[in-house]
Amino acid sequence: MNKDLNIYVLIKQVPDTRSKAGVNADGTIDRAKAGKMLNPFDAFAMQAAIDAKAMGGPNSKITAVTMGPPPAIAILYQALEHGIDKACILSDRKLAASDTLATAYALSMTLEYVQAKDGPADLVFCGLQTTDGDTAQVGPEICERMDLTQITYCEGFEIRDNLVHARKVIEGGAMEVEADLPALITIANSYNRLEHKTFRGAKFVQEVKRNEAIQKQFVEIIDLADCKAEDSRCGLPGSPTIVSATWKIGTVGGSCKMHQGKSVEELVGEVVNINQETIKEFAKA
Amino acid sequence: MAKEVLVVAEQVDGIIANVTLELLGEGKKLAHKLDAPLSCFILGHNIDSQVDRVIAAGADKVYVADHPELAEYKTLPYRRVIIDEINTWSTPPHTMLMGSTTSGRDLAPRIAAYFETGLTADTIELDIGPYEHKAGVDKSKIGYFPECLYANRPSFGESLKARILGPWKDPQMATIRPGVFPLPEMVSKPRSEAAKIKNVEVKLEESDHRVRISKILREAGSKIDITEADVIIAGGFGLGSIEGFKLLQELANCFENSVVAASRKAVDLGWITYPYQVGQTGKTVRPKIYIACGISGALQHRVGMQKSDLIIAINKDPDAAIFSFAHHGIVGDLFHVIPEMISQIKASKKEPAFA
Ligand SMILES: Cc1cc2nc3c(=O)[nH]c(=O)nc-3n(C[C@H](O)[C@H](O)[C@H](O)COP(=O)(O)OP(=O)(O)OC[C@H]3O[C@@H](n4cnc5c(N)ncnc54)[C@H](O)[C@@H]3O)c2cc1C
Repeated sequence: MNKDLNIYVLIKQVPDTRSKAGVNADGTIDRAKAGKMLNPFDAFAMQAAIDAKAMGGPNSKITAVTMGPPPAIAILYQALEHGIDKACILSDRKLAASDTLATAYALSMTLEYVQAKDGPADLVFCGLQTTDGDTAQVGPEICERMDLTQITYCEGFEIRDNLVHARKVIEGGAMEVEADLPALITIANSYNRLEHKTFRGAKFVQEVKRNEAIQKQFVEIIDLADCKAEDSRCGLPGSPTIVSATWKIGTVGGSCKMHQGKSVEELVGEVVNINQETIKEFAKA
Repeated sequence: MAKEVLVVAEQVDGIIANVTLELLGEGKKLAHKLDAPLSCFILGHNIDSQVDRVIAAGADKVYVADHPELAEYKTLPYRRVIIDEINTWSTPPHTMLMGSTTSGRDLAPRIAAYFETGLTADTIELDIGPYEHKAGVDKSKIGYFPECLYANRPSFGESLKARILGPWKDPQMATIRPGVFPLPEMVSKPRSEAAKIKNVEVKLEESDHRVRISKILREAGSKIDITEADVIIAGGFGLGSIEGFKLLQELANCFENSVVAASRKAVDLGWITYPYQVGQTGKTVRPKIYIACGISGALQHRVGMQKSDLIIAINKDPDAAIFSFAHHGIVGDLFHVIPEMISQIKASKKEPAFA
């Protein structure tokens, strides 16, 4: 029998790249036009948190934590709809332009803040990476700061005798590990898909939105001062890296030889002919 | 101790991975610009034979940590050994590079967070150059820095590529995907005149054993590595379904040492698995022939294949971005073009003169 598990899940709101809105043909994003969504990797992390809660004792609970501008609260409501118990958002203008190190600092201070109220974490789940930053660095950087056991690229796990038994992706295969709690686990997208919202969760969110007192209790909004984070370690001042230049790689060259407006046979014939040397070299005899 | 360019090696079953050799090749150029030695940190067990390989790839110095606990990559023991060693140096390395692999992405952020330094993920270009920080929000950063690590990576958002740098603190760190840089020419040297080799002391603590490996499942033999194929037939969202890959496989079968590959959209849809993904978050390939079928040519895809010798793109949209950098563009429906291509290539083999 496992003890009651105190579970945290770190989630992020990212630009929505699923729809065409705000997504240019070359893959760039028009942030003003693009919608917002839960980072797809974090949906797997949320499911992992829900699965972990089911493995823990009867009083296990999950708190979702995010950092972002106030509208990012939308993903916390989404988390509650899926059965997450509580949520907290760190929102502060001073966080703008934070790189991964500054982000990891701010999130670990937020975790310490919620832990002081709700008890120390047994498990912290994160998505493997975000779709906008795509670094996979924040989870391990939090581990370093908070000295949590680290398991990245996790695609399945069980909690037995208060130990984590996890399967993780490695180069060319997979690895099974046994690890001590408390642990921070980043979840790969080969994990089980997030299940549907629960009826109870959806009703609860309606109530939370209606009733300010309940809202304060279950969806906490804090700033850097609340979690005692030093300004100098957040945002630009706290980021050891900066973006010094950007390139718009538009259409280059025009060196592409176009083949169009003829029968398929002719089009393919042109290309195969021009490149016959190369094609012959590699074609099967 | 002079500043170094340090590559942290990756090994599987005691064999140094190609990505490490690639980083040594590129690291050598950075080391020249900095007038600094190129060093390589190898961790593993019974890995002495690998020292010669990293020297052949260009390492001037080799740090070797040989210990049974290091045979297989594990976050905490590797982290401990590297940090302990660097802490004995009078100055940390100027630049520190690691593969952007499942283990490199697990370890690099630990070391970056420990030293509270910057780390750029999935870099596609590296260089050394100056940077001047003029007045701005953050006054503490103001200054002129003649030798910064430039780490360029595709970015998300308004621009397509960004240069990221952080000269305020060493080590300046970056991870790089396998295949981004070419393998260097290997020049073997006798050890006596080659590099300085330092055996690193391994002192682990109780808390380093919090994660214990119970089983390793590596697919032996059937390891697919699209980076090693001469001919790649890649498919994207334009394939419409998983069935489309059968057609691509048929075309691939016309060639020797060929393989099918895909865009991320096709991978995300589950039409094919991740090891076949080409691009920024997949593999970087440079085959002799790359045939892109129903792929729009987004930058994140392009950075993974633009160095192919011959790029043929098939797309029904004449304005598709892929036509701005392919060598040959066929505007048409891939379901008509590919079968025709298969029959013409087969025919071309039968009657050699077909001009
Ligand atoms: C941080 C980040 C990392 C990313 N990493 C990668 C990566 O590693 N690799 C990658 O590929 N992408 C990556 N992407 C995604 C990338 O931006 C594109 O969304 C993706 O490459 C598009 O895939 P696609 O070309 O298959 O699909 P689409 O862009 O939808 O293009 C489909 C194309 O097929 C054509 N088509 C449709 N039907 C037919 C037909 N019958 N015959 C011929 N042509 C047809 C269409 O005209 C269209 O051009 C990344 C994105 C981000 C934000």
